[in-house]
Amino acid sequence: MTSWKRIGLKDFEFPKIVKYNKKYLSFEEGAKKEVSLNMVTDITSLPSPKIEDNFTGVGTEFILNVKKNYNAGIDLHIPKDLKIKEPIRLDFYLDEKNNHLVDFNNIYAKENSEITIVIDYKSIDNVEGFHNGFTNIFAEKGSVVNIIKLQRLNSKTLNFDSNFSRVESEAKVNFVSIELGSKLTGFNYTSILEEEKSYSNLSSIYLGDKEMKLDLEYTMIHKGIRSQSNIETRGALLDNARKVFRGNLDFKRGSRSSKGVELENVLLLSPTSKSDSIPALLCEEDNVEGEHAVSAGQIDKSKLFYIMSRGLSEKEAKKLIVESSFKPIIDKIPFEDLRSEINIDIERRLIHG
Amino acid sequence: MGEHFFNINNLKVNIDDKEILKGVNLEVGKGETHIIMGPNGSGKSTLAYTLMGHPLYKVTNGEINLEGESLKDLSADKRAIKGMFLSFQYPEEVDGVTVEEFLRTAKTKTWGEMQRILPFKKLLKEKMEALEMDESYATRYLNLGFSGGEKKKNEILQMSILEPKIAILDETDSGLDVDAIRIVAQGVKKFKDKERSIVVITHYNKLLEYLAPDYIHILMDGKIIKTGGMELAKEIDENGYEEIRKKYLK
Repeated sequence: MTSWKRIGLKDFEFPKIVKYNKKYLSFEEGAKKEVSLNMVTDITSLPSPKIEDNFTGVGTEFILNVKKNYNAGIDLHIPKDLKIKEPIRLDFYLDEKNNHLVDFNNIYAKENSEITIVIDYKSIDNVEGFHNGFTNIFAEKGSVVNIIKLQRLNSKTLNFDSNFSRVESEAKVNFVSIELGSKLTGFNYTSILEEEKSYSNLSSIYLGDKEMKLDLEYTMIHKGIRSQSNIETRGALLDNARKVFRGNLDFKRGSRSSKGVELENVLLLSPTSKSDSIPALLCEEDNVEGEHAVSAGQIDKSKLFYIMSRGLSEKEAKKLIVESSFKPIIDKIPFEDLRSEINIDIERRLIHG
Repeated sequence: MGEHFFNINNLKVNIDDKEILKGVNLEVGKGETHIIMGPNGSGKSTLAYTLMGHPLYKVTNGEINLEGESLKDLSADKRAIKGMFLSFQYPEEVDGVTVEEFLRTAKTKTWGEMQRILPFKKLLKEKMEALEMDESYATRYLNLGFSGGEKKKNEILQMSILEPKIAILDETDSGLDVDAIRIVAQGVKKFKDKERSIVVITHYNKLLEYLAPDYIHILMDGKIIKTGGMELAKEIDENGYEEIRKKYLK
């Protein structure tokens, strides 16, 4: 049994994982000839890179659960110097017959390659579901990995997601996380900026409502000289939603002249919502720069009045402010259908919720 | 009373239990321009915010009527839909929403009909040209990084796009240089030519000469103490508010 105090998860027992039979690749396996893309069948026999042993994600038990019980996922290798412009999309949909998703994804970008992956986790009915995932990214020298995760699970579903990236010299990993659903979410992203000028970027938005609980932890571990990390999070909380945000910047010995920035901006749209933000800065080097700024508060009353004086109702004015805060991050999604579904979802919850 | 287009009847307003407006009366006919002048702290901005429905300003007595309908209990958005407009003294900055998107939404809401993209673009361009605003403002975020003068012009732009029945201009002339005043005044005049009513709240008389108002009112200590024509503005200019106070405030 597992307990998770911060988020109010007590005596949690992992469900017995059933098979996941839905098709989640939008194309036939092997159709993308240029890359090696396979369904994950056996984690233990995965070729390089090795999975980081010390990575605990949202919790050791959760990582173990994935390694033992994964029922979906991909193993993707992008060859050296190949830049793939067209994004790869995975649609993990949960429904009555496929209500357990335990996905393991391995993304290996070889030297100077480039790839964009969009992963959509979504409930298509109202059945209680369970998601536990582990995504492992390895970005070799000079490569660029853009990964966008969108989570729209229903309010009965538990959602756990652990994400790890190792970023080599002059490589870039841009991770976008959009958390809109679930009953309870535990999300972890840990990035190791391994070498000189490694670059790691995390942009996230969350919208919590009803009784939703969110625990979000982002960690940037700087090892390389002149490495640069950036965390930018924007959220809005309604009703009784609760959120804990932890952003960690960890400058290890050897990370001289590195820079890390973390920003969080949360709008509290109800007096009973609750937001905790815990930024942490750890330094083993002197010559590094770590910045953090957190702002949490209600929507400015004067701003609300100004917008309302132009004919927008209070709810519409709040929606406008939330949408405009989220827009730069939503605009990073390279699929119009997803962007528009997100906007409809936000509108529904802010106007009619 | 009731036959007037817009009237304020014995309006008393509190902020945090302190009475700021102590019985304001005002009648504005259709197409008329009124100027309300008064020294700092006389209640001018309180009047402007109260007319638009700011929730911090509590109406304890009196009525605000537009075309025979009471606005007193309506929220700001409902007043806007009825045809009220306030040009803010300090317009707010809204990040992430462009001037064009915002105004198209606002026009859709206040007019109750969807504004199609292309005709709206054309209308906006036309109105911006009249105010000598660069086209690039349309795609900039609302008031973000605008100078004081640009923000005021943007208020007048909003007024000319939304075409309210009555516009309250709160210190629209403050912070504007001579050229900007001229341009803004022209914008206001064009608006006025369409039989729209205007109430200009100011403590200077910069806009006055351009606007040729029908009435000038002096607001002092939470009441309108004197109503007249251009000669009142001249009197304030020459003698200052202290003399006015001695002469008219009993």
